[in-house]
Amino acid sequence: MAIAVLDLDMDRLPPFIAGLERYTAALILLRLHGVPVGQALLPVVAGRLGGDDLRLGLLEAADSAFWEAWLRSYLGERPAPIDPAQLPRATVAVCTRDRTEDLARCLAALMALPDDGQEVLVVDNAPATTATRDLVARYPRVRYVREDRPGLNNARNRALREASGAVVAFTDDDAAPDPLWLRTLLRNFDDPLVMCATGLTMALELETSAQITFQRYGALTRGFKRIVFDNAWHDPLLGWQAGAGANMALRRVVTDCVGPFDPALDAGTPTRAGGDGDMFRRILHAGYRIVYDPQALSWHRHRRSWEALRAQLFGYEVAGFGILTRTLFFEGDLNAIRHAKQWLGREWYQLHQALRRRPGSTPASIVLDRFRGAALGPVLYLKSYWQTRKG
Amino acid sequence: MSDLAPMISIVIPTHNRCGSLQRTLDALQAQRYPAERMEIIVVADGCRDDTLPMLRSYHAACPLQIVESGGNSAASARNRGAASACGPIVLFLDDDVEPRPTLVAAHAQAHGARPGQVVLGPSLPLPIGRRGYFHQRTRFWWDEKFRELGAPGHRFTYQDLLSGNLSLDRATFTRFGGFDTALGTAREDYEFGLRLIKAGIPFHYVPEALADHHEHETGNLDSSLRRVRHEGRSDVLIGQRHPEVVCTLALSFWRPGARRRQRLLQWLVFHAPDLGDRLAAGLGRQLPLLERAGLREQWGRLHNQLRLYWYWRGVAEEAGTPARLIALLREGAARAPRGPITCAINLAAGVEVAEHRLDTERPAAAHLWYISGTLRRHIGVLPEQPGAEPWRGAHLRPYLARHLAPPFLKALAEAGAIHPAPPEWQQRLTGAIERMERWYGPARAHELWWEQYSQWARLDAEQIAEV
Repeated sequence: MAIAVLDLDMDRLPPFIAGLERYTAALILLRLHGVPVGQALLPVVAGRLGGDDLRLGLLEAADSAFWEAWLRSYLGERPAPIDPAQLPRATVAVCTRDRTEDLARCLAALMALPDDGQEVLVVDNAPATTATRDLVARYPRVRYVREDRPGLNNARNRALREASGAVVAFTDDDAAPDPLWLRTLLRNFDDPLVMCATGLTMALELETSAQITFQRYGALTRGFKRIVFDNAWHDPLLGWQAGAGANMALRRVVTDCVGPFDPALDAGTPTRAGGDGDMFRRILHAGYRIVYDPQALSWHRHRRSWEALRAQLFGYEVAGFGILTRTLFFEGDLNAIRHAKQWLGREWYQLHQALRRRPGSTPASIVLDRFRGAALGPVLYLKSYWQTRKG
Repeated sequence: MSDLAPMISIVIPTHNRCGSLQRTLDALQAQRYPAERMEIIVVADGCRDDTLPMLRSYHAACPLQIVESGGNSAASARNRGAASACGPIVLFLDDDVEPRPTLVAAHAQAHGARPGQVVLGPSLPLPIGRRGYFHQRTRFWWDEKFRELGAPGHRFTYQDLLSGNLSLDRATFTRFGGFDTALGTAREDYEFGLRLIKAGIPFHYVPEALADHHEHETGNLDSSLRRVRHEGRSDVLIGQRHPEVVCTLALSFWRPGARRRQRLLQWLVFHAPDLGDRLAAGLGRQLPLLERAGLREQWGRLHNQLRLYWYWRGVAEEAGTPARLIALLREGAARAPRGPITCAINLAAGVEVAEHRLDTERPAAAHLWYISGTLRRHIGVLPEQPGAEPWRGAHLRPYLARHLAPPFLKALAEAGAIHPAPPEWQQRLTGAIERMERWYGPARAHELWWEQYSQWARLDAEQIAEV
């Protein structure tokens, strides 16, 4: 079972789409006038999408964000073009570790961005081989930096120090940004309080059941509506809802305002994830804003194997409880207790649903992994903390 | 330019904020507007700090008048300042705003382009990171207020008139008798705005007339709670003077003795205010503790309760007895709009045509229809709102997109305007629009994933149906 991923513009729709015999369904990114505005999910019948009328089928399955954009367009509103001269200068940073196959795709996508004078930086994090260096050497516009301390957050901090742009846009090595990704992220920095902008991350492929499970889980997508996160109404401990590290841009001064990424968190450490969510939390806590701009589009190759997915979801909970540990014990914030209690209530319900095999429920093995992650989170965070203190 | 540039009289009421006032004056020296076409009138309202010596020794590029008054209220200070003005246009600035260099020119230009209107400029909180729940929420309120004013097709209400960065014809100001000094220090600007709106004076928001608002220096939690109490008093006075807007005031939520907590609140503010004040003060001391512990939700709840208490405390103070408050509410309910809506607009004729009709008729309310051939659908109502300007063409498209999208989209689908297809297929479209209606509108952070989940569930259902 596999799901096709398509990118279709409603203005330039082919009469039909066929030849999808390998797939049972399709996840379609819907564009209007070239701009991503919504998504649709359609079954594939006999290799063909949308039955007798593709356009009608897509309209039928479209989400509310698409309809909002459609109506605004009907009422004469057109997407405002972005003037590159008004944007801050940017550095695009890719933090990577021995994944040259993905990195090659990522760099190819970055070379397809319009050249507004942005710098492209690859931070090679504690590499085992010279493969990354050799790959980057083929791109004269890309700068190579090696960061020997392992840990994604160490690499991110290095990128913030090395960058020459006022804004540093981060993409993961397993993501491929859309050509207008960078410009779209950067337009959100016209508000001086915006310390961070995040974008929409779609699935690059949904070929395995692990990838489909992850997409259904919705972990990297935050919908198709722009949101300005502000502490006045959004709890900083829910800062992770603002986006994901695979698709985010930060002002370089963020380290002066709220401090660097926590080296005890995220990939390469026992806590496995959470560096982005912790940064979002601190940005909101300090009274700055985060904009989620779903038109800043990037494509992400989800983990293909079931084991990798389980490890990833386990890691999310480790990191979530790692952050709560940091908040509670290092910052004296009792709000963390409330979040832990809420988490327990929610996951208990999920487990209940899973054990009773309710339709659409998460597999019980994954829910149990999450419980394990939550239980180990505080221990692993403290372990990671001592490791970084010593190291 | 100076031949055409009108004389602008800038009126700044101030009360013991010497340093802040000086910053405002300094910023006025750096305006991109001829200094000989400006005059500044500072009304020192009962100042006991260094304000007066500072003003006397201040070297301004334009004439600087100092008017002393007895510390009555900002409303009477503004009236006195306007009475001393010479220019045809008065610009009111607060003493805690710092005008950007384009402010005066932007106000002047707006009056030149459309004489006779009220010009509102933004006083945006200084864009710096801020800790502390109170300051973060206050800043959010200000930022949201001006974002709404600047949104395309904003329909102005009397509550948009803020006196911190405001200009209008001096003649208009005098004709309407200026600010009502009985309202004291709260909502005198709303009340003035209400009289202007009722008389049909147009409001205009000019984002270029920008000032930085140093509200974090001048406001704090205690002063804001005191202010809420004044707002309660002012709302009663506004209701007494203009019963038709009672339904837009917070006090209209009064329901005699509905729930236990509300009954307690009512008893406290009317019968035992001393006890209530002591309780509120005691609870108020818990706020810093809650904040230090990071209990933001509990802080928010308590803060809301305290605001509620002080608001009703002010209401009770001004109304005197529950009976008089109820009489005010009855009067308001009797005057609330409920007349038949006589204006009906057919959107099938085109949105431009509908806009043109709104612009020429300026109705208080209108029915929107989609009538084409045998298709006859009621889309909705452009509602009457007391204290708001009549409907204009520019309001229509944003209102349709924000509030009436599902019925409008359904009518468009049935008319074949979305996708030309046989009529029986159009039902598939209207069904789809009904499904997404639940999610339409701005994202709700706690529901970020729910719509996607519903899409996946629908796919599952379709695939099961096929099997």
